[in-house]
Amino acid sequence: MKINKTPKRAQLQVSFAWIFAIIVGAFILFIAIYSATKVVKTGDTGVSAKAGKEISALLNPLEIGFETGVVILLAVPVETRIHNQCDSSGNFGRQVIKVSQKSFNTWAETDVEAGFPNKFIFSDGVEEGRNFIVFSKPFEFPFKVSDVIYMTSSNKKYCFFKAPTEIKKELQGLGQENILVESLECPEQSIKVCFSETVGADSGCDITVDKMQSSVEKRGEMVYYETDALMYAAIFSDKAVYECQVKRLMKRTEQLSLLYDEKRSLLSQKGCPDTVDLQSLASSANSITNSSTLSSQDLFSVAITADQVNRQNDAATCALW
Amino acid sequence: MKIQQMAFMLIAVTVFFALVGMFVLTIVFSNMKASAAVLEEKNALLLASRLANSPEFRCGNAFGTERANCVDFDKVMALKKGIKKYSQAGFWGVSKIEIIKIYPTGASSNVLCTLENYPECGRIEILPAGEGTGVSNFIVLCRKEYNGGQVQNVCELAKIVITYKG
Repeated sequence: MKINKTPKRAQLQVSFAWIFAIIVGAFILFIAIYSATKVVKTGDTGVSAKAGKEISALLNPLEIGFETGVVILLAVPVETRIHNQCDSSGNFGRQVIKVSQKSFNTWAETDVEAGFPNKFIFSDGVEEGRNFIVFSKPFEFPFKVSDVIYMTSSNKKYCFFKAPTEIKKELQGLGQENILVESLECPEQSIKVCFSETVGADSGCDITVDKMQSSVEKRGEMVYYETDALMYAAIFSDKAVYECQVKRLMKRTEQLSLLYDEKRSLLSQKGCPDTVDLQSLASSANSITNSSTLSSQDLFSVAITADQVNRQNDAATCALW
Repeated sequence: MKIQQMAFMLIAVTVFFALVGMFVLTIVFSNMKASAAVLEEKNALLLASRLANSPEFRCGNAFGTERANCVDFDKVMALKKGIKKYSQAGFWGVSKIEIIKIYPTGASSNVLCTLENYPECGRIEILPAGEGTGVSNFIVLCRKEYNGGQVQNVCELAKIVITYKG
């Protein structure tokens, strides 16, 4: 008897049950990982949105407006970027804050933003750090328009070099740790702020304030200001943020002028003489809100009108503000 | 048979994890809602303490020297007339702002203020619509009175009530 033996080849026998289990297992794992990533992302967005809103609530005490020179420290547990955005559309415009925080060594970018029509924050477009130092100053033009808020990261040191006496006094009174007032030499790595009346043109200044021309030169760009509140604003913020916020301040000035004009008309019905011309201030402030760039002449002409209106108010029988 | 058992098992495992995930998400989102409500409340409480000093309400130097928590009645009535711009912009981020006179009280203490009856009234609804939780702060409500050719400053005790959705 002859037996025919064919050589057996080694072969991997995978049953259908195994293939099915692997495919479905992979699918379940994919869904689980995808959902986990989504949940983490949603969590990051939630944290950023909450931080944005919280910052706004924390800034409220700065707007009490009765005390000046209040400094608050915003401390966050992780490295944070605060995006300062400004929208000048509408009757008041909007202050927009977007917060992104470092998570697993990458910046968790978010589209969630917190917007406030009644706040004016002056800072660079993006401030980064764990501690943010914030102080405020009332902006009066001629009546109080708002408390403007200045926000800087504690990583940035501003050195005011040979500042005029009144500015020196004010800054020293703040006791803000990242603002230095020096008359001999500024530390390296600090942002040197000079005043053209006390320092020559070639002194290695990062920011130069010309009080005669009411201008601030920063990174080769020139911006104009009126009042000390706007001078600090120009120092601590970049051009785009500054000009947009000034437009918003002018919008509020216009609305407040109309409000005071309405009050004037109510008082005149009661018998108080009618002397303050607020319509001219409203239209002057409105002219700035419509211009594409902010020139020195624009602000100067509103300041002149504001000064005239203020003198009329001081002389009035029923003062409006 | 075995395949059928495995398929059912896998479906059961998937459904189980989906339910656990949904449960976790519900907890996470309810926490988020609670945080949002806490933030709203914090904002309203701080707003109540500072609103009287904001440019639209404050007395400034109109009644002599500057004082804290002093609201200009005449200015508030003017604001009431042009409130639409402010409410459309969601300017204060709250649903209702009201001022209620506390002292001296009189027959008109419950009367809603309008341009026709002011100052003989007791309640000023600045932002009228809206329901929610209210927080309040005491203020001084001052106005100008013109009597016999003389201007007088009249100040009364009142409270400002802010209502937020929470």
